[in-house]
Order: sequence, then structure tokens, then C-alpha cells
Amino acid sequence: MTVKLKKDLWAKVAKAAEAAGYSSPEEFVEHVLEREVARLEEAQPGEEEVLRRLKGLGYID
Amino acid sequence: MGAAAFLAAALWCAHHTRQAESLPHLQLAYVGPGAGFAFLGSFLTLITGFFLSLASLVLWPFRMAWRIARRRNGYRHARVKKVIFLGLDGLDPRTTERMMAEGKLPNLARLAAEGSYTRLRTTYPALSPVAWSTFATGVSPARHNIFDFLDRDVRSYLPRLSSARVGEPDRVLRWGRWRIPLSRPRLDLRRKSQPFWKILGRQGIGCTILRVPVTFPPEQFDGRLLSAMCTPDLKGTQGSFSQFTTRVEQATYENGSRYPLRRAADGFTGEIEGPPDTFRAGRPPLRIPFQIARQSGAFELRITGDRCRLEPGAYTEWQRLTFRTAARATVTGMARFLVTETEPEFSLYMTPIQIDPERPALPISHPPYYAKYLANLLGAYATVGMAEDTWALNEGVIDEDAFLRQAWDIFAEREAMFLDALENTRRGVAACVFDTSDRVQHMFYRRLGAAHPHAGAIEEMYMRMDALAGKAMAFADRATALFVLSDHGFCAFRRGVNLNAWLRDHGYLHLKNGSGESGPFFAGVDWSRTQAYALGLGGFYLNLKGREALGIVDANEAAPLKAEIAAKLAALRDEDGAAPIRDVYQASSLYRGPYLDAAPDFIVGYNEGYRCSWEAAVGQVSPRVIEENNKAWSGDHCVDPALVPGVLFSNRKISAAAPGIEDLAPTALSLFGMNPPAWMEGRPLV
Repeated sequence: MTVKLKKDLWAKVAKAAEAAGYSSPEEFVEHVLEREVARLEEAQPGEEEVLRRLKGLGYID
Repeated sequence: MGAAAFLAAALWCAHHTRQAESLPHLQLAYVGPGAGFAFLGSFLTLITGFFLSLASLVLWPFRMAWRIARRRNGYRHARVKKVIFLGLDGLDPRTTERMMAEGKLPNLARLAAEGSYTRLRTTYPALSPVAWSTFATGVSPARHNIFDFLDRDVRSYLPRLSSARVGEPDRVLRWGRWRIPLSRPRLDLRRKSQPFWKILGRQGIGCTILRVPVTFPPEQFDGRLLSAMCTPDLKGTQGSFSQFTTRVEQATYENGSRYPLRRAADGFTGEIEGPPDTFRAGRPPLRIPFQIARQSGAFELRITGDRCRLEPGAYTEWQRLTFRTAARATVTGMARFLVTETEPEFSLYMTPIQIDPERPALPISHPPYYAKYLANLLGAYATVGMAEDTWALNEGVIDEDAFLRQAWDIFAEREAMFLDALENTRRGVAACVFDTSDRVQHMFYRRLGAAHPHAGAIEEMYMRMDALAGKAMAFADRATALFVLSDHGFCAFRRGVNLNAWLRDHGYLHLKNGSGESGPFFAGVDWSRTQAYALGLGGFYLNLKGREALGIVDANEAAPLKAEIAAKLAALRDEDGAAPIRDVYQASSLYRGPYLDAAPDFIVGYNEGYRCSWEAAVGQVSPRVIEENNKAWSGDHCVDPALVPGVLFSNRKISAAAPGIEDLAPTALSLFGMNPPAWMEGRPLV
């Protein structure tokens, strides 16, 4: 998937990404979008499903 | 290189030919843990695959020429031809140093004498997924986003595996009781930033990365990788064993399951429960019936036409299990069996059902055929993230001998892979992480110094790791940099601290209806009055307004509240006056990075002998704050990271004064003549 940004915005994104400690401008953009989308996403699976997926992880009961 | 490319093409074709042979039955390419099945084996896919492979063969000379040119360029400034990373998870510096002094680790002692040895600073917290992610990326957790085994959904306060998400397919056709997935399940690696092998791959420097934690799902890069810690089993769990038994009382073990065996004329019958059938509404589990027949002093296991001999006390080889869904799609897994008792009751243990590397239901390697290549070359192997079944031993389903045999069998599989990588790596990176060192210490710490047949299990493990290091050293010529390292050390785990109970006792966490305790996942917690809560192994969180769904702590109240809680918690005392907590660290003072918001607000530095309790780790509030740990899991490293550094050996002189695990990634880049990128926080060591 490709998202087009204006050149001057991309330059700002690249600068901000480097200052923040991201490994690339793409990672920065992805993180910002993920954070925003998470607010709108449906809740994760119910408690039973959570328990099932974590089953067997040695460190927890 | 030509041979490798042809082998790849041949494997690819063989894979697709097998798919074609098995038609008209539907082929199952992916079974998402809790997600769903997706079809891949359609006719269209076959035709597309044929033309793609044809195009691949036609373009092969051009691609090879491009690769050769790029590799020449990539190695132009390299100071070495090859870098080897041998990861020994949890190898403790104190034990290592003592055993070296006693002459029990001759290879590591020689490596230290001829090159370097130093303690290696670990991450905060000292947990494998956190530390190995830092190893891979050269950054702190706030830049790679892995802070613990678990994180939490701020909307529901429910825990999640921090390293990967396996979601439902985006498109599912619903028709009556049928559910037809029209796309693959969503797989998402949550570790951010970039591993050094991806950067090296872009420069044409090939890397073979075996079982480095937090590599599931595998990322695409120019190299080979086999996924590790947090790779699920076929049921979508982190590894749940089964016990089939004539003991009729039904009991479900905490992390496995017990199933009845019915007595038959010449033996027993039972059913193996597999992954959910996501083609059907309600997703009932897929099942395979099996029979056990008595046979001249031993038994025979019969599963869907396959037979294998069961010798009491001896594991079978990996047995392939083929589950057939309601839509006649198939999914295959593998398990090993062990008869644990025969008279008067009969019990059969089955390992967690592994994703079959020859026909993986989820991607477990990059490129996808690499898992199959290893299986064809070396035989079947364990694929689940934490393959050694610690819960079966915790629950008494297998004994210590059986656990050790299993752990060392897995070690042998891994060693064969590692040696194959070493033999085939003339240039580039070969890296492999071994978990046996971690698991044996977790399960046998209580035997240290005891009059017990397994009192020497840990020392024996160290000596076998030393022998492995010796084998790796044989591949390290003058043009090779070898690093043997661990991600953290080890200590005893005698007492568990339930931080949620402590927060309750100090008025920071409240329960509904005045109840004194709650079940897991914060059942019964009154969020409207709760300021802080603990989840996971490393720390705990504020219930922050604007971040947590039911947060009540204002941003401007957070700093003084943090200071207040940290001061009170540091004063916690056990019944005998001992201090369970050495220090309480605020994440904002430990890390700087874009994922800091996801970090626990506090990282708790426990003293030796203590750890976060089993119950607190899953959001349970128990009656008492400190409780005895009575499990076989008796050693741990979830303590103050200053107490459990790792080890670092190298055949090169290490110039840095206090190296940390974040320094290994930039070291690899530097050895190949590359300047580490500005975002990396580690510094080259040689």
C-alpha cells in the first residue's frame, strides 16, 4: 500500500522521525496512524480467547 | 550461490507439486490461532505459481549478476568475512565465572583468555523478549516497543502477548453454520525499529538468523530466518500439552488439558483435540481419534492409519497429525508422545502440537521454504516459541527426567541447525539462540545444593553449553568475529510479590463490593477508584485519564503519585524483615523513545529470591501480598536487572568499559564497515 505525501511534509516527517528515535520515516507514519486508528478499533477478543492465546507461556499461570 | 538458487526453486516447485497432488482436497495454508483458515491451494494459485516460477528461472541470471555486484560492494569496507552470534539464553555470569575458575568450562575459558570476557548489561526489565529485541535492533525498549511478555489493551485492561498479534481474517463469508475465510489471518509483529540483519541484508550481506526471540511473524529481508519465542502452537496457544489418561476424574490443568482414555478390548481409545474448526460457527475443536494397542510388553499408537511403537518412558519421534475441517481442508501439526504410567492406570503425555515445518499453517520462517528446507535436511523439529514444556513438569504430568530428555532433544535439533548454518556461511552472519540454558535453570534451581539426583543438572547444562561454544569456535578463523552471549543471568525464585494486593492494601486499587480479592484479568476491580494496577512480569501502570479507558489519574497528578507509590513500595518488607524490592524505576527516567507511552509506568527491581507473583502477572488480586513459590519453576531473572547481567565472550578484544546488549547490533554493522544509524543507541564494541 502506498500513501502519497507532499514533499515538504515528507521532509518534516523525516526530520521528526529521526529526532524521536524512529528507525525510518515510514515507521513514524505507521506508528502515528496506528495510534489514531486504535481509538476507533473494536475491542480485542473476549477473556476466554485471551486466556487461550496466553496458555502455556511458561512465565505466567 | 547458483546451487542455492536452484535448490530454492526446486523446493518451491516441490512444495507446489505436493499441493497439486493432494487436490481435490482443499489445501490449508494458514490456520490463525483464534483466527481462521484461508485457502491457498486453488487452481488459480497453482497456475500463478507455475508462471512465477518460470519467470523466476528466466530472470535468475540477471538477479544473480545484480546480487554478486551488490555483495561485492557490501563487503568492500568489511573488517571481517563472518560474524557468529551464539546466544545462550540466561547464562549467568556468577555461575559461569565460578565454573571457569574450577576448570569446568575449558572452551569459554580459552575464548576469554585469547579474546575477551565481560559481564553484559541487560535491559530493564531483564526479560528475554525485551533483551533479545534490544540485541537485534541496538535500541532500548522505548524504541522497539517490547517491554514485557505481556502488554495490555488500554480499552479493556486485558493482557495481550506483546510481541505479535494474530487477528481474524478481514473477510469471512458467513453462510448458515459455515464460515469461509476469504483472506489470511492478520499477523503483526509488534517489535518495532529494524534488526541489524535487515540493514546488512540491504547491503548484500547475508544473514542466517535462527531462533532469536521475537521474530514471529517473520519479517521479510535479504537473508534466512527461523522464528522463535512467541511462535504459537497449532491451537494458537503458547504451548499447551495434553494428557490422555484412564484416571476418570476430569481435571483441566492450568496450562494443558487432561482427556479421558477409554479401555477397549486390546488397549485404549481416545481423541486428540486440535485447533478450532474456523469453518464452523462456534469454532468447535478439530479432533482425531486414536487407538493404543497392547503389543508384547509395549504399546502401539494408531492415528489415522499411522502406527508408532510406544515404549514406556521413551518419547516417540515427531508424529504428524492431520486435522480435517468440516470443509475438508486439512491442517497438519506434529507432536511427540510419552507413556508415563501403564498399571493400574494408563497415561499418555502429548507435547503441545507444533506447527509442522514441512507444511506450516502459519509462516514461521523467511523465506517461507526455509523451515521446510531445515526439516528436509535435518528432520522434524520443535517450532513452538517456548518449546520445552515447563508446564507439564510444573503440573507433574511428566517428571524431571522426561523434561530433561525433552529439553536436550530440542537442543540437539537446534544444534544441528546451527552447525548447518556455520558450515554454509562463508561470509555474512550466522546467529542462533539456544533456550535450554534458560529452561533448565528455571526448572532445576531448587535442586542446586540439594541431595538430589538432579542437583547437578544446571552444572551439566553449563558444561554442554561450553562444548557447544567449542564447536562454534572451530568455525571462527582469523577473519571471523565470534560472540557468545546471554541476555540475562539467573537467581532463585522463592517468593512471589502480588503488587495488585499491595496496591489494594495501600488504597491505590479498589475492588467492587468490598471484596478482598479478585480473579485474573482484574475481575472485580473498581476502575472508577483505582489509581494503579499491575500486569505482566516487569512493572505496573497508572490508571491514567486519556490513556486507559476508565482512567482516573490526571496527567498533572501523575508525577507526584508516581513518586509517592515508588517510595512506599521500596519500604515493603517480608515476614522476616527482608526487602523484596531493591529499587523501583520510573520508565520515563530509564528510556527515551517514541514508544515510551506503551511502557509500564514503573519497572520493579526485585531482590534475589523474589519475583512478581504468578497471580499478579495476569491481573489477579490475591489475599496476601507475598506468597511462597512452590512450583518446579524455581529459578528466574525477573529481578532488578543490575543483579542479573548476562555474559559476553568474544575472540576479539572488547574495548568498551561497560558493554550492554544494545551494543551488539552496531558492532555487527561496524565489523562489516557500516556506520551504525543515528537512531541506534548502542555503540560498537570492537
